[in-house]
Amino acid sequence: MSDAAPARRAPSKAVRLRAVWYRHWKVYSKFIVANATPAVLEPTFFLLAVGFGLGRYIHREFNGLEYDAYMAPALLAMTSMYTAAFEASYGTFIRLRYQKAYEGMLATPLTRHDIFTGELLWCGSKGLLFSSIVALVLLAFGHLRTPWAVLVPAIGFLNSIVFAGISYLVTSWVKNINHFQFYFTIGLTPLGLLSGLVFPVRELPYGLEYAAYATPLFHTIETFRLVVSGPAHTSVAWAWACPLVLVTMAIVLGALGVRRMKGRLKA
Amino acid sequence: MKRYAALTAVDSVNLRIPRGTCYALLGPNGAGKTTLSKMIAAVLPRDGGQMEVLGFDPWIEQSEVKARLGVVMQSEVFDEDLDVRRNLEIYGGFFGLRGAAFQKKIQELLKFVQLEGRDDDAVQALSGGMRRRLMIARALLNDPELLVLDEPTTGLDPQVRHAMWGTLRQLKQRGLTILLTTHYMEEAAQLADRVGILFKGKLIAEDAPRNLISEHLPPWVLEFDASGHEETLVALGAETLAERHGDRAFVFHRDEAALRRWVGEKAFGAAVVRSTSLEDVFLKLTGRTLDE
Ligand SMILES: Nc1ncnc2c1ncn2[C@@H]1O[C@H](COP(=O)(O)OP(=O)(O)OP(=O)(O)O)[C@@H](O)[C@H]1O
Ligand SMILES: [Mg+2]
Repeated sequence: MSDAAPARRAPSKAVRLRAVWYRHWKVYSKFIVANATPAVLEPTFFLLAVGFGLGRYIHREFNGLEYDAYMAPALLAMTSMYTAAFEASYGTFIRLRYQKAYEGMLATPLTRHDIFTGELLWCGSKGLLFSSIVALVLLAFGHLRTPWAVLVPAIGFLNSIVFAGISYLVTSWVKNINHFQFYFTIGLTPLGLLSGLVFPVRELPYGLEYAAYATPLFHTIETFRLVVSGPAHTSVAWAWACPLVLVTMAIVLGALGVRRMKGRLKA
Repeated sequence: MKRYAALTAVDSVNLRIPRGTCYALLGPNGAGKTTLSKMIAAVLPRDGGQMEVLGFDPWIEQSEVKARLGVVMQSEVFDEDLDVRRNLEIYGGFFGLRGAAFQKKIQELLKFVQLEGRDDDAVQALSGGMRRRLMIARALLNDPELLVLDEPTTGLDPQVRHAMWGTLRQLKQRGLTILLTTHYMEEAAQLADRVGILFKGKLIAEDAPRNLISEHLPPWVLEFDASGHEETLVALGAETLAERHGDRAFVFHRDEAALRRWVGEKAFGAAVVRSTSLEDVFLKLTGRTLDE
């Protein structure tokens, strides 16, 4: 230990965000194989089941594609949605309430904004990683139909930011960890169905199709359709606007979520 | 000042800690010690008043202040997902510390707190005393200018506590400024240049430990079992400062011999004559013992 204490300067915002991000990566990468294996296996089994099982009983086209090819982009969206949603709900809540991990971080140059923004970026990175893994599976099944598919990781990143932001809003509000079950079962699962996961939204009854257009996941799935299947196979003619909506939502919801969590940590 | 709803947890506290000195905040549970330390450590915002830490407003320039501080919180907050060494590495990362020199620093600090070789242990596998020491090591990673220690020795056995005092003395000798909160009068007397007594959010007395005693009380006290001696106590009270707290009677006097004479004359139960301590000052000022 040096005797004269040098006058330390606060690390820059970028260094602080990177340090938070790195903390999550360090914890996560300890079990990277166990953590990432389901990301490979789940879509594989799903595509096998649909391609060789269910698909054989479905004699029609969806957006001009076979059923498994129709579902492929949605798998990317679901993967990146769930990985971020879990991390920013159960994960964040456990760190906040049980592990008190943020309290320790607060004694360092990190601000509340750094803590949750860094974590949000980590959620985005998880989405990037997971959607890349699923994209490789899709590639093996021949479902990547355009070179624009190189954009899949970026879209996965954005979608994870969106859902981390939404999950932050939920986490900042729930008192009890069990309440997240409502979020997942009556929030995210129906959202998947509503957003064109299993059939095109224009086939939804009672004008629900317009409700679908208001959901973030719809825009993500359409964006994935654009780059994975091509513009000819989107669900709506205006799908080109969906990437713009996605970017906007990522910025707005991410910022709102961080803001709410900052308030939550103050108490 | 800090408010929690209707409760004002810290109220018009006025204190100054010169560089290189150690200041001890004494106070019973709920006095506001933790709240005040957290405000100083830029962890909690304040609801009013002025504060300057190392030349910065701790809330407005949080990161600047926190970069120069070492903090040991009352509650142990380690990253349970990481082992001993990773805890220090990641924590240092929040200060922007990395690289070979930093690794060496971690090694030195683990040695300094006698935790060398425990690098790969889970934090949960350490004993309470070891975890406290690890917290000290963690607080020193960034070569802080000011150490804020919230009850660093609560719950430690006397031996470990004394070792911790030794560590803190060493740090003080290196020129660190230290703010520590404690329930232990002896700790304050041993380590601090100045002691402040915090009670219900207010700083009710402040001075060097010795002066604090001489300012408020005569140097000697006779302590005995009060029951059955109510009248005697009243009689002595006419002559000198005599108080009763619970079952114990306290008779203060500047003359030790007088007290010893009284012990000889009256048949007091469990009587002791001793020099007055910070504890007595505390009792006099607040009407309560520290652990009440
Ligand atoms: N987050 C909070 N919300 C509401 N009240 C709080 C909160 N934190 C502390 N308080 C109240 O503020 C007062 C001061 O608490 P504080 O923790 O600062 O006391 P302390 O001196 O550190 O006590 P101890 O010796 O028990 O650690 C107490 O009455 C406490 O109940
Ligand atoms: Mg406290």
